[in-house]
This record gives sequence, C-alpha cells and structure tokens, in this order.
Amino acid sequence: MSIVDILRSDGRVSIPDATTRDVAARRALAIAGVVPHALVTPSTRAALATCVRDAAAAGTAVVPLGLGAHRALGHRPARYDLALSTRALTRIVDYASADMTVTVESGVTVAALQGVLAREGQWLPVDPPLPEQTTVGGLIAADLAGPLATSQGRVRDLVIGTAMTTADGKEVRAGGRVVKNVAGYDLMKLMIGSLGTLAVVTEATFKVRPRPQTTRLLVLACADRPAALALASRLAELDEVALAITLLDDGDTSPTWQCLLGGVAADVDVVTTRIRAAARAASATVAYDEDGAAPAAAARLAVARDLSRTAADVVVRAATLRTRVVDLAAAMRASVDDGARVRARVDPRAATVTLALETADAGAAIARLRAVATGHGATLVVERWPDALAATIDVWSPLPPALPLMRRVKAALDPAGVLAPGRFVGRI
Amino acid sequence: MSIRGPLADADRAELRRALVAIVGDDGVLAEPADLRVYECDGYTLERSVPTLVVLPRTTDEVARVVCLAASAGIAFVPRGAGTGLSGGCLPAEAPLMIGTSRMRRIRMIDLPNRRVVAEAGVVNAMVSRAVRDAGLQYVPDPSSQNACTIGGNVAENSGGPHTLKYGVTTNHVLGVELVLPDGEVVELGDAIEETVGYDLTGVVCGSEGTFGIVTAATLRLAPLPEAVTTMLAVFETVAAATTTVSRIIAAGIVPAALEMMDRTIVAAVEAAYHAGFPTDAGAVLLIELDGPAAGLPELTTRVVDICRDAGARSVRSAADEAERAVLWKSRKRAFGAVGRLAPSYCTQDGVVPRTRLPEILARIERIGARHRLRIGNVFHAGDGNIHPIILFDERDREETTRVLAAGHEILEACIALGGSVTGEHGIGIEKIRELGLSFGVDDLAVMQRVRAAFDPARRANPGKIFPTGAACIEQRTPRRQAAM
Repeated sequence: MSIVDILRSDGRVSIPDATTRDVAARRALAIAGVVPHALVTPSTRAALATCVRDAAAAGTAVVPLGLGAHRALGHRPARYDLALSTRALTRIVDYASADMTVTVESGVTVAALQGVLAREGQWLPVDPPLPEQTTVGGLIAADLAGPLATSQGRVRDLVIGTAMTTADGKEVRAGGRVVKNVAGYDLMKLMIGSLGTLAVVTEATFKVRPRPQTTRLLVLACADRPAALALASRLAELDEVALAITLLDDGDTSPTWQCLLGGVAADVDVVTTRIRAAARAASATVAYDEDGAAPAAAARLAVARDLSRTAADVVVRAATLRTRVVDLAAAMRASVDDGARVRARVDPRAATVTLALETADAGAAIARLRAVATGHGATLVVERWPDALAATIDVWSPLPPALPLMRRVKAALDPAGVLAPGRFVGRI
Repeated sequence: MSIRGPLADADRAELRRALVAIVGDDGVLAEPADLRVYECDGYTLERSVPTLVVLPRTTDEVARVVCLAASAGIAFVPRGAGTGLSGGCLPAEAPLMIGTSRMRRIRMIDLPNRRVVAEAGVVNAMVSRAVRDAGLQYVPDPSSQNACTIGGNVAENSGGPHTLKYGVTTNHVLGVELVLPDGEVVELGDAIEETVGYDLTGVVCGSEGTFGIVTAATLRLAPLPEAVTTMLAVFETVAAATTTVSRIIAAGIVPAALEMMDRTIVAAVEAAYHAGFPTDAGAVLLIELDGPAAGLPELTTRVVDICRDAGARSVRSAADEAERAVLWKSRKRAFGAVGRLAPSYCTQDGVVPRTRLPEILARIERIGARHRLRIGNVFHAGDGNIHPIILFDERDREETTRVLAAGHEILEACIALGGSVTGEHGIGIEKIRELGLSFGVDDLAVMQRVRAAFDPARRANPGKIFPTGAACIEQRTPRRQAAM
C-alpha cells in the first residue's frame, strides 16, 4: 500500500511498518495546532527510505520526528501530511567501547544510549531536556545542547558520522566511524539543528568519553538576583573540571547556582575550594555539596535541564557573548511584567539566557524580549509560543545574513519541499 | 561553459591587465619562473603550473577578482601557503590561482570573549603567539603551523597532534567570511556560539576550496592548560607501542597528544635534531597530558604504569619547557628529517579505529615488503590517524609507480579495518579515486548537490575531491604530470 493510498483511506490502516490514522495518535503529534493526516513508524531504515520516496512522489509533506518531545521548536509547518517517526529504529549498531565510538539508529533515546554506555564506564556528554523522550535523531535535528556543552563540546563536536534519507528517498552517508576524518564534505554539520528540513537522520556515530572518575554538585544559594549575577564571571572562569555551570532563578526561592564538577578527585577538590571561596566572597551559602551522580543531585540538575520543557506559555532562549550575558539576563528579566510567573536559567559560559513565562499576553512579552535581545546584540529563539501566534511569529531573530544561501542549500537537497516545509529559519 | 584549461595568449594578456587594475602590478605573477613556485603543494607527485597567480590584499580585492573570473567564466583555485599534502591547491583545471599570502591581518582580538578574527593568510602559529601573554591559545596545531595559513586550515579542516583532546579545526571555527564563486561576500556563523540557521560554517570547513574562498575566520581561543607533562616512552617493537596506545585510550585517559614514531623515523629525527632518541628502539611514543595541576601526577602515574605493563624499555618525562620543546620540535619536523633517508618521500594519511593500530601497522609492513619499498611511520596514534612515509626516488619512474600502488593498498586496508582514507590531509587531487572506497555514488551525489548551492558552475577549485565527469575534461585541460 502506498503512502497515497494510506492518506486517501479512512480510519486505521495497518501495513507492515505501522501506519496509523488513529485520531489520538495523530493529535499527539500536532504542531502549532496542525494535525498530520497519518503517522508512519518504519521499523527499518529501508522502509523509512521507501516511505519518503513514495511521499515525495505523491507530493506529500513529511515532518520527521522522534517521539515528538521537542516538536514545539520551529515554525508551524506550511504543510504537514505525514508524521514520520524514527521511534522504531532502535538498534545499537556498533558500540566500540575501546575506540570510544558508538553507532546507533536515530530512534534510540538519549537515556537508553546513556544506559548502554554506562555499563562500560562511558557517556555521551550531552544533557538535553527530557532525555527519556529525546531520541538521538531529535538531539541532532534540534541541536539540543545542554549546559554540558561548554565543557564537553556541542552536538556538532560529538557527531562523527551519519546515515540519512534524502528527500528523494535515498539513504546516504557522510563521515564515518573514526574520530578523525576529512573524507568528503562534513554533511553531519548540515543536519545538526536543521529540524529535519534537509534529510531524515537514520543513524549516527558519536565520539563518547569516559565518565569522570569523580563528580560533585555544588549548589550556591544567593540572597537575590544581583548577588547571583555578580558571581557569573567568577564561575565562568573555572577550568575543565567545571562540567556545567548554570544559574536557576525560578522566582519562588532564592536564585541558585548549580556547579557540576567532574574529573580526577584531586582536581575536583581544588575547584570545590575555589567555588566555596567565591561563594563566601559573594555572601552566598553552599546549599548542597554531594556526589554529582547521587539521585538527589540528578533530580536538582533535571529541574534546570528541563526548565524549557515545563509548563509555560512562552519559552525564549537568547545567546550572546560571554561579557554581555549578565547585562542581558538582567535586562530580559526586567522586561517581563510583574504579573507574569518567570523561571530563568543562565549559562555564563555558553552565554545563554533561557526564560520560561506564564503570561496572559504572550505576544507582547515576546516583542519586549526580542527588543531587549536585539539591543544587546543577542540572537533570540522563541522555543514555545501560543498556537494563536503561529502565523505571524518570527521564531528566530535576527535572521542570518546568509539566509539566501541557506535557501539554496535547502533547494539543492529538497527541491520539492517534501521535508518539514516551512519549519525552519525564514520559514524554509 | 567555464574555462578550465590554460588561456589563449590574448585572453591571458587581457585577464592580466584586468587583475593588475584590481590588485596592482606587484599583485599579479605571470613570469614562468614566478609561476613555477606555484606548480604544486606539499604533495609533489603531480604538478601543474598556473596560467596566472593573483595576490589580493583585502576581501574586497578578492571579491573583485572573483567577479572578474566569474564574468569571464574562468575557474580559479585558492591557495594559502601551499603546505597541503593532497594537492588541494594544484591548479589542475583552473587557470587562475588566487593566493591569500598578502592577507595577513588579525582583524580583531577579543580576549574576554576568547575570540579572534584572522584573515585567511594569517599563519596558524601567529594566532597563538598573539594571545599567549593573555594565557590563551588557538588549539589546532598542524605540524606545518609555522607556515600554514588559517584559510588553508579551514579549507582542509586541518588537524595536528593536540586535536586528540581538543578537536580539529572545525571544532574551533565559529564563523567564516566567504567569497562565493560569483563574487558575493557572505558572512557565515558569528562570534556568538549559538547562531541562527544551518551550520554552513561547519560544512565550509573541509570543503577544500570548492565552495569559494574563505577570506577570514572567527576562531575560538582556549586557555593554556594549567599544567603539562610530556613523556617519551621507548618500546622494543611497534606492536608494543601501538598496544600501549589502545590501552591508554581504553583506560579512559584522554591525553592532549599521543604520537608515535617508528625506528626509521627516529633514526632520521635523531640524526637531524639530536633530541636523545634511542635509535635502536622499535618505536617511541610521545605522550602529553595536560589539565589542572592537582590531578596530573595521578594521570601521569597511570600512563607510566600502562607503558611499563606493555613492555616499555623506559619512560621519561621532559624535565622542563626546553626539553619539552626539543621533543615537540623533533616530532613536528620529522617530515623534514626524512629528506636524509631518500631523495623523495610520499606521506600517506589514513585512519583506523584506535584498537586496530597494531593490525594496520603490520599490514603496512607487509605492503612495503611486497612492493620493495621502505616505509617509516610517524603519526597521531591517539586518533588512529596514521602517516606512513614511503621513501623512494622520484626519478625512478618504475619505483614511483610502486609508491602509488602501495599508497592505494594502505588506504584500502584502512577502509577494510573500518577507517577512513584521510584523517587530516584531505582528498585534494591525490585521493579522488580513494574517495570511492568510503562513499557510494548516491553519497557523492548529495555532496555535489550541496556544492552546487555554493558553486553551481563549478568554478571554485574544479577537479578536486570528486571524480570529474568526462564532459569537463576538455582538450585544453593540462595533463597532470607525475613528477619525474
């Protein structure tokens, strides 16, 4: 049965690679209010390629997804006929632990992958929101760099090879399985953060790392926001032992710095002493100082990590230069109405500020935040907004000067606009 | 139809006049003796003299030169310092060479944000030199770092010994200024870490000049490590040394650098630089650990133990910075020392998974024996990035044929072991045939489509990376000559 037949038929359709028109299943994958006509969940890469080829031939628009946890990222699709999920592609293809590389299909979740790696004392040093619901494909497509990125590298620094299905339904490869490789163009980079608009990633090879010998989480409670921000530059200067440094300011309790440390025990001790000294100088109290792998520590880290995926009407993330992040954070926070509930996260090394707002007037709040970001020379991504704004919102600002060239890249790889049309920057 | 072969005399004279109008008389090379210098890069087995060489000083001049070439339909090849090792800047099918050697300005140094904007012709080592007093460095350090340029590094996505822990060029380039083949100047990426849109900077890195000419790059700086330990471990056999490499990696230790030299190379290096290497050893490892000072002794002890367990004859640490410098000078100038061993040498560049190093080294030895060639090895062991150096005499035509055959077999062996045909030198013109060992027709077709988004007429460095379609090989194409 072809994709066209599936789309024309009514009710639930069963073909070898589970396809469903079940209303609940489809609604669960709605993007900005648009519900797909069908959901396809191919169980092999070959079946996925066939799906894309048939869809392209039928003029059907396909939005690639994993489990859909991050589908709020990006513009409302111009067309959304078929949700194509990689969630059934869950093979660990090759785990060469002694070579510190792992190759997995793109439907494997980050949490599942970490479980496999942990058995060999290794990890993929990424911390995306909702790792249980984040597939490897989603990690790549949405470039879900977490706070670990400033010490461990971003997703772009960890992916060394991919297999992907192009818009005409061919499965192609780039990169490889070795850690150093310049054969052919680095097409992996094009996939990262592209929201599935250029090809469907079906397999990825990552560099993995040994888990740190010792980890430790220090939480510093600060008297107020200015006191917390005053610590930013000091903490940003910490060396490679500081795996992740984030300020969590949830509006309810006092702002807290979370400092996740990892490495050789002696180094961790030295940095712990430095952080404690910095805290004393800033009249901050050490609210927590424990093994970073302990459940209590993991729970604390998860709160900050998942901030952008918790209940909120609006989530924005701004990025700037390190020297400007404190001013930017203060200005963004100040631009929000007193009535709105705000939770904020600041990463002083990545120089990013994430705000989650509960507000009655999302449009106005976004406009004010955008003006602040622009005024500070920062980029702004609106990660979540009410569906009512879908037609007019600019998810990304400012638009990059190379946007025309980006359109040409899209046209070169997906001339008919089959893959996630309208989802990307400039509604590519 | 773009012009790929040498120009007719009248066209050449006209182009020269037009170029002089843009860059001045001293910026255009047209005399045979001057052009001869540009006939090859560090890969000397093939040579081709450009019709004209132009040396612009600014991005605006590059853009005007490229516009001129575009309107005349002339293909061009960008060139940095010509230290490449795969013939990437060989003017194989492009009459016009655009050199960046006069674009040597560091436009901006932003120490607090750890950013530098360097023009394409800035020599790699100059970037680190410019920021060293502030305790910062630009990490990628190809062995040719005192000559090679940032533009060339971006084009080739260059590596170097310290990429094991810190990554290669692409991991440190945040943005580029690129002159597209139609003359348009585009800014890709930004000094800000999270940029908006496709990561075009990432795909320009390693595109070998086929997307246009990079005229400047925004680079990320890193703090100098708090402490460094550099060790020399001596082994009776290559197998013991490569086993040690695998064990260090498998133990979860990520050294800053982990380099190997075999007996052939050690002999040459010792004769040239007198660093105190034992010339009777089977192989030596140069192991560098860096990071926070407190934990370094523990890591050092673990590495020393691994070396001893694997049968190291001796392991000694450099006592001071001077001793460390001698060790690194010997390693980085090893290629230069090889000149003592034979009239010519050809450096191969392949990659295998790190655990397969013992196997690939054994295979290389067998391939050398079969082709009656002497092969030395000096390479980035920690990355699994091998550099067999094949010694020969290029005046011997028959021997040269055997060198090419052995090189191809070595790369086939890398692929058979799950590796790659190039880790850091690029495909260039040398490995066009071998690229097909890694990728199929569909894979290459997608790459070509991406290239077409940047360079639809294929006028930027044509004849590189991809097999050239028959339609493009015109009679006017200069026949590439193997060095005689």
